[in-house]
Amino acid sequence: MDVLHNLALGFEVALTWQNLMYCAIGCTVGTLVGLLPGLGPLATISILLPLTYSIPTGGALIMLAGIYYGAQYGDSVSAITMKIPHASSIVACIDGYQMTLKGKTGLALFTAGVSSFIGGTVAIVVLSFFAPKLGEVAFLFGPADYCALMLVGFVCVSFVTTGSLLNGMAMCLIGVLLGAIGTDVTSGIPRFTMDMPFLADGVGLVSIALGCFGIAEITKNLDNKDERTPFNGKIKLMPTWAEFKRIIPSALRGSAIGSFLGILPGGGPVIAQFAAYAIDKKVSKYKHEIGSGAIEGVAGQAAADEAAARTSFIPLMSIGIPENAVMALMMAAFIIKGIQPGPNMIAGHPDLFWGLVASMWVGNCFLITLNVPLVRYWLSVFKIPYAVLFPSILFFCCIGTYSVNNNLDDIFITAVFGFLGYLFMRLEMDAAPLMLGFILGPMLEENFRRAMLLSRGSFSTFLTRPISGTLLGLIGVFVAWQVISFILQTRKTTGPHQILAAHPAAEQ
Amino acid sequence: MAISLAFGLQSLRYPIGQMSHAGAGLFPLMVSGLLLLIGIITVLRSRFVERVHLDIHMRNIAIILASLCGFALISEHLNMTAGIAFMVFSASFAGTSSYSVTRNLKIAAGLIAVAFAFQKLLGFNLPLY
Repeated sequence: MDVLHNLALGFEVALTWQNLMYCAIGCTVGTLVGLLPGLGPLATISILLPLTYSIPTGGALIMLAGIYYGAQYGDSVSAITMKIPHASSIVACIDGYQMTLKGKTGLALFTAGVSSFIGGTVAIVVLSFFAPKLGEVAFLFGPADYCALMLVGFVCVSFVTTGSLLNGMAMCLIGVLLGAIGTDVTSGIPRFTMDMPFLADGVGLVSIALGCFGIAEITKNLDNKDERTPFNGKIKLMPTWAEFKRIIPSALRGSAIGSFLGILPGGGPVIAQFAAYAIDKKVSKYKHEIGSGAIEGVAGQAAADEAAARTSFIPLMSIGIPENAVMALMMAAFIIKGIQPGPNMIAGHPDLFWGLVASMWVGNCFLITLNVPLVRYWLSVFKIPYAVLFPSILFFCCIGTYSVNNNLDDIFITAVFGFLGYLFMRLEMDAAPLMLGFILGPMLEENFRRAMLLSRGSFSTFLTRPISGTLLGLIGVFVAWQVISFILQTRKTTGPHQILAAHPAAEQ
Repeated sequence: MAISLAFGLQSLRYPIGQMSHAGAGLFPLMVSGLLLLIGIITVLRSRFVERVHLDIHMRNIAIILASLCGFALISEHLNMTAGIAFMVFSASFAGTSSYSVTRNLKIAAGLIAVAFAFQKLLGFNLPLY
């Protein structure tokens, strides 16, 4: 009953006209971002972060959250109608686009919209019940446990985003080192500032995010020179009763999978969609049709995608540890607004927490309206040529960077990170772990130093504490599995003679 | 490896302290060491995997970065309105097969109007004139 009481409080906050407006703006911008190539939720949240400084805390967080889960809704539309895969809609391209080729675009869009609604609703129920419980568990965490949890997050995000543990961990550690730039909070010594006063407060989060994601993404799209043909087909949205009945079981399965995977470190919408699609292919009544344009191929993954986007807020709000780069940026938004996410947040700011939870359901209603009945209007967005779009995105990047500190020097820093981000992208090294490392770096250092202080310099504290010992054990098993699988794969694909032939210098 | 060495060597200039009372340089030094180790493993691993061609087009990124830097410099020494116009006209050289002055004028005018809206309605401190 406590949950119902708290949800009532949340709806009281979320249904004020100001918060409804912020939620609507967030969902609309998020849908637009999801539809368009060039900017992901991470870059958009970075751009809009400075705009939220003048907005009340609750409204700002509601708007930023709306952008995130709105983008998850919107990206399936471009995937289904035009086979434009975004990072989190690769699976929607498979069956969704096949349905478009069969002339069932309306059914695919309806399925994706309704399934996302179901996924979002289930995830909100999970969030309402699970976040406060996990918050209570978080009180058991000591500094060593927090360190271990952050390392688990690094390992999982590294593997999930880049596919290579080494590349991902390297990016995480570069992010941690970048986070160390600025004044050391314990001793007051300026570190790595190269005697430049504007680096005393550290490198700006927005500069890194916009450089590595915004600028790099724009340049990638310009390099590709893709000319997209807008979708001009007919859209018949309403399904038959038989078709509608096929959506529900798959969407519920996807919701459960997405809700679970969204909570895990490194989890989130991408991995949840793949898992839901794989499960549907195994257990669905229509599994033989999946892959060739089946309703189940769209419903399960769309529900999982949306559910995971919502439940990924759970670790952030209950433990205070973001599990992916978008959540790390959300955490930065919380901190900028003077709210420290973590076990004390729910008790300390119940209006904020429950208001955000309730706004997610309100956002769900906005999004199903935007993405189902109004979807044909959204598709006209694709008629905007990229030559018009990218200078506008650049403009927002510049204004976003400048307005954090009203300092034009920050634009030069953004340019430097834009170049680095472009290089990383061409080297196929995802910048998302760098972002996570950058935001969690100072927290990792603080907890590491505290753990060392409490244990009088003994590393054994990381192994003797049950939580950190278990988490570090998991990391050990994962690293061992990676090493063994690399060795086995190398032996299978490359014989010793081929290695020597490829590197003749090694023979000498 | 270069990044790890740059940060690692610089860390040595700060107090290292002890594990129980860490100085400002200890944590970055440890992270740099770990990054260096990963760098070495990556180099070793590269001997066992196929070579991949690195596909970098410097033209577009150079134009975009020059536009950004030009925007910042012009905004600092002249005003942001001129900076926005410069950015639109220079960035449009990137990636586009057709360069249209009329289109750029329209985009610049629209963005300047948005900047004025930010200044007047949202209270942004933009040096537009």
